[in-house]
Amino acid sequence: MKIPTDPVTLATPFFILTVIGEIVLARYGKLKAHYETKDTATSLTMGLFSTLSGLPFAGVSFAGAMWLYHHRLFTIPMTAAWAWVLVFFAEDLTYYLFHRLSHERRIWWAAHVNHHSSQHYNLSTALRQTWTGGLAGAWALWLPLSFLGFPPSMVLIEKGVSLVYQYWIHTEAIRRLPKWFEAVFNTPSHHRVHHARNPRYLDRNYAGILIIWDRMFGTFQLELDEEAPRYGLVHNLGAFNPLRVAFHEWVGIGADLIRSPRHALGWIFGPPGWSPDGARDTSASLKAAWAARQVQAPSPDKREAA
Amino acid sequence: MHLADLIQLAVSAAAVAAMVGLAAWATRGRGAPPLDEAQARRWLADEFPGARIEGLWIGADGLGALARSGETALVLSRIGDGYVARRIAWDAAASAQFRDGRLSLPLADFGAPRAELRLQAWPPGDLAA
Ligand SMILES: [Zn+2]
Ligand SMILES: [Zn+2]
Repeated sequence: MKIPTDPVTLATPFFILTVIGEIVLARYGKLKAHYETKDTATSLTMGLFSTLSGLPFAGVSFAGAMWLYHHRLFTIPMTAAWAWVLVFFAEDLTYYLFHRLSHERRIWWAAHVNHHSSQHYNLSTALRQTWTGGLAGAWALWLPLSFLGFPPSMVLIEKGVSLVYQYWIHTEAIRRLPKWFEAVFNTPSHHRVHHARNPRYLDRNYAGILIIWDRMFGTFQLELDEEAPRYGLVHNLGAFNPLRVAFHEWVGIGADLIRSPRHALGWIFGPPGWSPDGARDTSASLKAAWAARQVQAPSPDKREAA
Repeated sequence: MHLADLIQLAVSAAAVAAMVGLAAWATRGRGAPPLDEAQARRWLADEFPGARIEGLWIGADGLGALARSGETALVLSRIGDGYVARRIAWDAAASAQFRDGRLSLPLADFGAPRAELRLQAWPPGDLAA
C-alpha cells in the first residue's frame, strides 16, 4: 500500500527557510517575532519526531479509509475540479470538528495540548506538533469522507494542504490582513486568539483554513487591540523536555484514573480541567470568573465585554 | 523505514540544529530581567485574581517567587523568558526541602515537577505555623 507523498513533506524546505527568515529579520528589527532558544528547540524537536510518531497510525488510518472507500456511497472523481472544491469544504469542516473536540474533551486535548504549550507565538510554534495524535484516534473523524466517496489519497492531500496553510498564520509579524480576507479565512490575528490563555480568548477560533465555521457555530472571537494575547496554557509547563511536553496530560489522566477510577468517564471525556468536585480550572470556569470580575470591577476592557 | 526517509530525517535534524543555533545567536544578551517584587505582584494578580497576598518571598536569583495566601502557597517560577504559576498547599511549601539556600517546591505535576527558589532562610519564623 503506497501512501501518497504529502504536502507537508514537500513544504518542509519552505518551513525551514521561513523560520530562518523570521529569526534573522526579527533580530534586525525588521519584523515582530519573539524567539527563545530552548522554546525553539522544543518546538522543532516536537515537529521533527511528530511525523515519525504518526507513521504506525497513518497506515492503520489509511487502510481503514481504503476499506470504507471500497464500500463507498458515491464515486467522486479525483480529476474533477468540483470534487476538489467539495473536499476542500468537507475536510475543513472536519478539521473544525476535530479541533473543537481536541480542546473540549480531555483525551483529545492530551494529544493536542503540546501544540499550545509554548509561551511564544512564532513560525516555530506551528511545528510544535503532536506525538500522540494517532493514539488518541481523532483521525477516525476523517473516515466518513472516504465512505462518502472521496478517494483516501485525496483526503490525505487535502489534510496536508490544511496543515501547510496553518503554518504561516503562526506569526506576530502580520497584524491584520484585508477585511474580506479576515472575514473568510483563518489568519495570524484569528489564530493568535486561539493560542492565547486570556480567559476571554480561551476555546475560540478552531478554524483550519476557513474562519467561517467559527462564525457559524459561535466560537469566533476577534483579536482586540486593548487585550494583547498572552500565549500558552492556563497552567503553563515548567519544562522544555519534549517528553514532558508530549506526555504530561496523558500522565495526568493516568494519575487521575488511579486516584479515582470510578470517575473514569469524566477524567477521560470531560473537558480539560474537569474534576468530580469542580476544584480545578476549566475553560468554562475561568471564563465565568473573568466575566464576574468584569461586572464587579470595571476595567479598561469592560466597555467591549458588554 | 527506507533509506530515503532516514536521509530526510537526518537532514531535518541538521536543519533543526541550525535553526536552534540561529535562535541562540539572535537572542544572546536578551534574556529576561530578574524577577522583582513589582513584577511578581503583577503576575500574581494575573494568575490568581483576587488572592490576598499575606507574605511574598522573591528568589535571590530573580528566578522565582512564593506568596502565601491563607492556606495556599502561590508559586511563580521562571521558564525560559516566560514563567509558570502553580497553587500548592501552604503546608507543603512550608515543609519543602531547604538545603544550601535552595528551596525545592514540589508542584505535583508531571508538566511542572518542581520550582526552585534561592532564599536566605526557610521556613519564615512568623508565617510558618
Ligand atoms: Zn488548538
Ligand atoms: Zn496553532
